Amino acid sequence: MFKLRPRQEEVLAYPGGRMGVSAVPGSGKTWTLSLLAAETIARGELDEDQEVLVVTLVNSAVDHFYQRVRTFLEQRSLLPLNFRVRTLHGLAHDIVRERPDLVALGDTFQILDERQADAIRREVAQAWLRSHYAEISAYLDPNLDDDRQDTLFQKQLPELATGTALSFIRSAKDERLTPQRLRQVLDGLPVPLPLAEMGQAIYSDYQRALEYRGAVDFDDLVRHALHVLEWDPDLLERLRFRWPYLLEDEAQDSSRLQELILEQLAGQHGNWVRVGDPNQAIFETFTTANPEFLRRFIKSPGVLARQLPNSGRSTQSIIDLANALVTWTQSEHPYEFARDALQEPLIQPTPPDDPQPNPPDDPSAIRIVLRKFTPQQEVEAVADSLEQWLPDHPDMTVAVLAPRNERGKEMVKELLERKIPVVDGLLNTTNATRLSAGALNSLLQHLADPDSSSKLAKVYAIWRRGMEEEPSARVLLEETASWLRRLKRVEDYLWPQLGQDWLAETGLGETAPRVHAELEALRLVVRRWQGAILLPIDQALLTLAQDLFTEAHELALAHKLALLLRQASNLHLEWRLPQLITELNAIASNERRFLGFSQDDTGFDPERYKGKVVVATLHKAKGLEWDRVYLMSVNNYDFPSGNPGEVYFPEKWFLRDDLNLEAEALAQLGAALNAADSWYVEGAATRQAREGTVRERLRLLYVGITRARRELVMTWNTGKRGNCTPAVPLLALHNYLKERQDEAAA
Amino acid sequence: MFSFMGEITLSPPQAELARLPVESKIFLEGPDGSGKTTAGVARLLGLLERGVPGASILLLVPQRSLGQPYLHALRTASLPPGSPVALHTLSGLAQRMVELYWPLVAEAAGFAHPDMPPVFLTLETAQYYLARLVRPLFDEGFFASITLDRNRLYSQILDNLNKSAVVGFAHTQIGQRLVSAWGGEPGQARVYQDAQECASRFRQYCLEHNLLDFSLQVELFVRYLWPDEGCRGALLETYRHLIVENLEEDVPVTHDLLAEWLPHLDSCLLIYDQEAGYRSFLGADPRSAYRLKALCPQRVTFTGSFVTSPMVIALGECLGRALQTGSQAPASPPPGTSETSDSLPAYQAALSFEVQRFYPQMLDWVAGQVAQLVQDEGVPPEEIAILAPFLGDALRFSLANRLERYGIPARSHRPSRSLREQPPVQCLLTLTYLAHPGWALPALPTQFDLAYALMQSLEGMDLVRAQLLAEKALLRVDGQPRLLPFERVKADLQERVTYRLGERYEHLRQWLEGYAQAPAQELDHFLGRLFGEVLSQPGFGFHANLDAGEAAANLVESAQKFRRVAAVGLADLGKPVGQEYLEMVQDGVIAAQYLRSWRGEAQGAVLLAPAYTFLMSNRPVEVQFWLDVGSRSWYERLYQPLTQPHVLSRNWPEGKHWTDDDEYKTSQEALYRLALGLLARCRRRVYLGLSELGEQGYEQRGLLLRAFQRLLRAAPQEASGV
Repeated sequence: MFKLRPRQEEVLAYPGGRMGVSAVPGSGKTWTLSLLAAETIARGELDEDQEVLVVTLVNSAVDHFYQRVRTFLEQRSLLPLNFRVRTLHGLAHDIVRERPDLVALGDTFQILDERQADAIRREVAQAWLRSHYAEISAYLDPNLDDDRQDTLFQKQLPELATGTALSFIRSAKDERLTPQRLRQVLDGLPVPLPLAEMGQAIYSDYQRALEYRGAVDFDDLVRHALHVLEWDPDLLERLRFRWPYLLEDEAQDSSRLQELILEQLAGQHGNWVRVGDPNQAIFETFTTANPEFLRRFIKSPGVLARQLPNSGRSTQSIIDLANALVTWTQSEHPYEFARDALQEPLIQPTPPDDPQPNPPDDPSAIRIVLRKFTPQQEVEAVADSLEQWLPDHPDMTVAVLAPRNERGKEMVKELLERKIPVVDGLLNTTNATRLSAGALNSLLQHLADPDSSSKLAKVYAIWRRGMEEEPSARVLLEETASWLRRLKRVEDYLWPQLGQDWLAETGLGETAPRVHAELEALRLVVRRWQGAILLPIDQALLTLAQDLFTEAHELALAHKLALLLRQASNLHLEWRLPQLITELNAIASNERRFLGFSQDDTGFDPERYKGKVVVATLHKAKGLEWDRVYLMSVNNYDFPSGNPGEVYFPEKWFLRDDLNLEAEALAQLGAALNAADSWYVEGAATRQAREGTVRERLRLLYVGITRARRELVMTWNTGKRGNCTPAVPLLALHNYLKERQDEAAA
Repeated sequence: MFSFMGEITLSPPQAELARLPVESKIFLEGPDGSGKTTAGVARLLGLLERGVPGASILLLVPQRSLGQPYLHALRTASLPPGSPVALHTLSGLAQRMVELYWPLVAEAAGFAHPDMPPVFLTLETAQYYLARLVRPLFDEGFFASITLDRNRLYSQILDNLNKSAVVGFAHTQIGQRLVSAWGGEPGQARVYQDAQECASRFRQYCLEHNLLDFSLQVELFVRYLWPDEGCRGALLETYRHLIVENLEEDVPVTHDLLAEWLPHLDSCLLIYDQEAGYRSFLGADPRSAYRLKALCPQRVTFTGSFVTSPMVIALGECLGRALQTGSQAPASPPPGTSETSDSLPAYQAALSFEVQRFYPQMLDWVAGQVAQLVQDEGVPPEEIAILAPFLGDALRFSLANRLERYGIPARSHRPSRSLREQPPVQCLLTLTYLAHPGWALPALPTQFDLAYALMQSLEGMDLVRAQLLAEKALLRVDGQPRLLPFERVKADLQERVTYRLGERYEHLRQWLEGYAQAPAQELDHFLGRLFGEVLSQPGFGFHANLDAGEAAANLVESAQKFRRVAAVGLADLGKPVGQEYLEMVQDGVIAAQYLRSWRGEAQGAVLLAPAYTFLMSNRPVEVQFWLDVGSRSWYERLYQPLTQPHVLSRNWPEGKHWTDDDEYKTSQEALYRLALGLLARCRRRVYLGLSELGEQGYEQRGLLLRAFQRLLRAAPQEASGV
């Protein structure tokens, strides 16, 4: 049915037990794993109640995986049964739902999303700061003047404390420490550890706030799942029966607890396949993930080690460049600590007659631009290049990838100003979701301020959106909206008293009957909406949505938003319409990524955006590919190499001794737990964190390069202060290319 | 078939049972829908017809709704005049006996003031007192390791006390029983000790203040009144005939009581449903009930069903097998049982479904099918029940709304609804704050609260004018809310709001201010006056608005009940009871919930209900829709970290750990009973509402869905789908 590569055949010949697969970018690991799932099911050995469990990294991959396995099964005339695709959190939720009482949860426990959890953490951290001025001041740069310190306490320090608390709490949960247990540990220390004290205090209050609300966060969900499995052997046995095969994708981003959960589920002799690319582990900084777990697994005795080294994604030159980064890192990186950041296997092109041959090679399609740009100049240069390239390549895909969200947004802004078609769904909540949430938000804003004629006009535009594509309708819409904007007293139109009907007085019934009809129809619908505002927020929103949306995914989104606002309203009984609007606004205006139901929410496909520029962060680009890729900001700030003078983002300018407070807090936690083995030395963790950053950024660069199929452009900028230099690996790759060119010329 | 008293048509076995001599002690068992209740009703009418005085007959039911068929028959049958038949639940009977015999037993039971009358607590007020006792304990580290919202925590402590009372063990054993069955992390067992401590403190507090929660009422009755000769003698003398409906849904102490009572009765009819036991989470114990069979000389068993069609029976058989045997046995029926000649399963005509991608699409499909049934096939709306394991507000609203668009009325039954969520109640609460400015919490009411209150309280007031007026008229004087007189509102705004509405506003404002300046009255009196003197008058929003009137009446009743019992403990705090009530309502500690009456149900409306609620209403329908088939809520018990209905039951062996195996088996049994119970109440057809993604956007794979998959997989493809 499929022509498989020999290495893929090896993977699909999986005999059971434990297998670890190192894959390179573009080797089709998701495809192979989906096929493996389908073939396992097709063998017919599974009981009706058994499922192949596929665990993947992010929500957007779940649907993608599901559809692939489903397609493979349908090709074999099988029903899409006997498999389940979950993220770690989804799986943890499934497990905890089996027996929430085992971890002292009620059946109605709520899961707070990141924003809700963050809001609570922020509140708790701020309260802590207010009462612990002295403790935190000990970490400030002593040269700061008093005014500066005041500003810091208003803005930067709460942010830093919240961020530090997030990592601290996450790590404590990863260690499965309750605040109470941690308190006992800290009380037993000979010398107090101030940052661990801070972390414990915030953790304790944060957890109490969650308990009060009957809620858990994502990290709780994971540790609870592990507890449930450990404490109830019968349940574990039942789940092992239910999931006799575990297939784990993106295993390089697995955390310790994820590994432990899957280890429990697999049991000593269970079937567990882990597929990943340690070279693409780029979430270490944000989470407790670590590529070492996968590396160790693959090397463990009894684990069948396999490789998927062939990739048909990129041209030979791009493959060579990515491989050059690996070999340079291993042998020439100026610092020893970084040399294991990237490891073999190197990428190999696909064999002859492969159904996915590599694109024809064009060494000149790789450009490393060493010209010194300011950040704005770099954005402009990339935009200039796109302006030239796009018209000639309407059938090709292109992406601009930046190391940080803000940089991506600057790029989007520039492209929008130049009217270059741009897609920023990977930076934000997707457009479709944002528009739907935005439409509902506009309606709520009108209901919160019903006297505003401009908001009413906006409501009209939203109600009739979709009609504006028709030129004749556009005129009508504009004319109607302009009448609405001119309204002085909204009530005389919507709820006229006897003899004061604004609409009747306009005479539009005779002069412009279509406009009149529009205004008449709008009046009826808005009256209904205004009546609905008395209902609880979820019901109000559903009422609005039913008049506003027709597409199934929009209605499904409205339903989800209604539940979300209801939850928010239950959590904050004092909230009224303005606060709920703010909540919805956060989704509509991108502050909060919200998983909707449109196609982009459930799996971004670059092929849908030919002729448009996709702007994304490197992190969000993982798993995706484009014909042409721009990698921006490849300087020593975003890609440091460990050289003196380099600035590291987590080391705040207002802290003394360039300390990385987050790393120091985690080190204090570690020291508290292992007091017998080693003790905390200030600054050591900051240095280690730098090394970690250097390694991870090398992998991030590797990920960026391997997103390109045919063409690759890499640029750098001098940074906000003008003192950044090209990243060391960028120079190395530039040299490599030059040598190649020289060789070719010779 | 026989006609009984010209009103009920009876089958031969039913008629035979009704004709048994008056002095008969009968144990009647049978599956759902086999005609037991009808026989029970006939028996009751027969007793009355044969001259048995109504007052000597006691109808005992586990919950009042199950007595409806009897009450209905008593109301409609042409019976000789006589004294009325008594209908009681165990707690109703207990409360009545406690009221009558309080002085006899109060001291012996340990009440501190036996000379003072008892105060009966509702669930709400019991929760209120418990909250006051428990709240300070949180700071001492009680319940530190559990994640549970406070109201559920309180209700679970009360639930433990209730279980001890209805199962019949000392309330001091709660913690120990729970701990000994706990198989999880040892540290977690501490919360059970905390729960025990709170239960004990609460019991002590009740004894000190003459407060009687449900558990104390039952205990007092069972442990003190029933053994008392005088009290028991009076009961035995009053009730000579007993009819017990749904014996299997009642609790063990009721069965104990009956075991002692039966020998003294002239007649009894105990009705036992063989496949039920739906209220086990409330302490129902079918096994305990069944031992009473031995005490009844006449034992009758009904078989078959008067309700369901052969197709639905076939569906029940296949689904039952698919549920019970899991994957070990084929879900299709054995040859020759339920197959039709062309090999399509016999249940084909009884099952319809369609899979949708999104949840709202599924709701659209359901509404469309209902419309087709009503409009094209002539099925009366009241013969359609839309059932979900859990009927959330959004789901209820979405469905009702969709049906409304087809012009089909819907009614919903949920065991309780929070008053706070109803717009008229919100309006009343806002006006209450304005009349009691000293009670208002900081920043309450908000400008939005006022605008919505004006919209509802003043006839003709729209959102735009209400908002305009609220913006200017709501003042804060010394932190307290005040309303600005209309004449002091700027002239152009007066004009915009209109003088007609301004007059109404002013009338309301003056009434509130006048009230605020006079000596304060009780909250329920205030609400009654506000409704009667202003809001229900012409020109005001509650005039001719029955829903608003009902909501107001419920709020008054809730506040009144609260006042009657809470005044005891509040006297020493020096805080008005009304203020405390409002704070509790706002805080959600008092959910201000009330049980909706099952009487006066709207005819001609589709029923939207949680599956269990529908089951307990015991009223079959022509067509059922099952939504959220993939949900786990169809079978999962309510997970309550502080209590465990099975472990606290009489059947749980002491010291045995509750394991996952127990959990799984219990879930499967519960689902089996529920699914077949529903089918036994369905005459013609079941529609499955299936969506790949559930309400929250996730796929669901519960046991019920898997059972249907098994069933359909075993059947030819034509059988599936609409």
